[in-house]
Amino acid sequence: MKLVSLPNRIYPSGQPHDAALSADSASFDFHTVTWQADGFGFDATSGEFFTASPTALMVMKALSEEESRLQILDRLTARFEVTQSTAERDLETFLAELGHIGLVPEAN
Amino acid sequence: MNASPVIAVTGLHRGENPQPGSAVIRSLRRVYPELRIIGLVYDSLESGLFSEEDAPDAAFTMSYPGAGEEAFWERLDAIREIERFDVLIPCLDAEMGPLVDAPEKLRERGIRACLPTAASFQCRDKAKLAELCERTHCRTPQTLAVSDVNSLHQAALTLGGNVFVKGRYYEARHAITPAAREAAYWHMLEQWGAPVLVQENVPGEEYNVIGLGDGRGHMLGSCAIRKMLRTASGKGFGGMVVRDPQLDAIAQSLIAELRWNGPFELEFVKSEGPKGEYCLIEINPRFPAWCDFPSTLNCNLPAAALELALGWQPREALRHASPGKFFIRHAIDMTGDIRDLAALTTTGQFFRQPCEIIPHPVTSRSL
Repeated sequence: MKLVSLPNRIYPSGQPHDAALSADSASFDFHTVTWQADGFGFDATSGEFFTASPTALMVMKALSEEESRLQILDRLTARFEVTQSTAERDLETFLAELGHIGLVPEAN
Repeated sequence: MNASPVIAVTGLHRGENPQPGSAVIRSLRRVYPELRIIGLVYDSLESGLFSEEDAPDAAFTMSYPGAGEEAFWERLDAIREIERFDVLIPCLDAEMGPLVDAPEKLRERGIRACLPTAASFQCRDKAKLAELCERTHCRTPQTLAVSDVNSLHQAALTLGGNVFVKGRYYEARHAITPAAREAAYWHMLEQWGAPVLVQENVPGEEYNVIGLGDGRGHMLGSCAIRKMLRTASGKGFGGMVVRDPQLDAIAQSLIAELRWNGPFELEFVKSEGPKGEYCLIEINPRFPAWCDFPSTLNCNLPAAALELALGWQPREALRHASPGKFFIRHAIDMTGDIRDLAALTTTGQFFRQPCEIIPHPVTSRSL
């Protein structure tokens, strides 16, 4: 099982999941993975399963709803004590990691 | 034919490398609990004989395939003098060749079976997989057939050194060093005869597709899994149902090209990385040992194979198993009785008696 999380320790990484981040829906699909509010993800095409940190889950949900990167950065900087440039770097690293483990199409 | 058909099943040992027969019996009984099933075994210690849930009603020892085809048919005829079975479901690779090559011998005896034609059986041979894959635009690791040690090492060098050495019918060993290759070569030669296959190693996740072909190019049902757990010898000990349209399409095109009739298992490796492609490793011409798992998910392929062999109208359409369902194999101990072992060893047959309950020596206590 692979762990999906943002790189900076400033973001919460473990359980329990932040209700404010994930309470608005029970599950959502992002690329080929269906994510549950508790951070468990299952890819029905590959049979692989994942766990995501609350922040990673929030970012993927935002991406699934086609929010812009700017909107996602605003969420991160509003919620955590992190500068715009750090948040931007963390988001880029996270997206690259998603691409590396095959959780986003290559174009992203 | 008997008023209620009698079914013969082989491959009843569920040891370290489980054979499919017991799983086939279990699936058949899910739909036809009263069906009379006999086991054809090669060893009196085949574990399925002693199971409470999926044992045959009677069992008969068979002559080893190595004893020759004449001995095989003679023994089958002798068994049918005692139990005139109507349908044969062969579950071992080594049995398939003689049956596929001589379907008339089954027909003239009135035995029904769900078998591929000799031509389609040959096309899925490990040594010919590349030709099939070229016709169906499916990737497959490069595989070379060898019959001596020099050509073994030459083939391994050609394939980059990191290879699988495979038996003609069964088994594979990962071999990186020349010594490991050579040991695997002699083992495969001794167990399964020549040629031995040397296959390029494709790192990645393993996926298997079980299904039933109708002989006209269609699949009557199928179920795809990702192997979750593997034994030291690479056998799947757990699998997760997946539903990938790309994998379904590859499986469909292979079965259409072969016009496969009967059960099959396709084994793939999906190469690593986001752009990983499915590579066909081999096609098994029978049910695999995990064939009862889809039966628990409304995809009972052994029962459908029986209906196909008998020309019966299928009870219902086979459903696709839901992704996310998985199986984990669980090994347990069977209790046998020396009388059954004696009967099978001395007379070559035994008939199952009602289960003898062995009382627990300590009375139960309330906790």
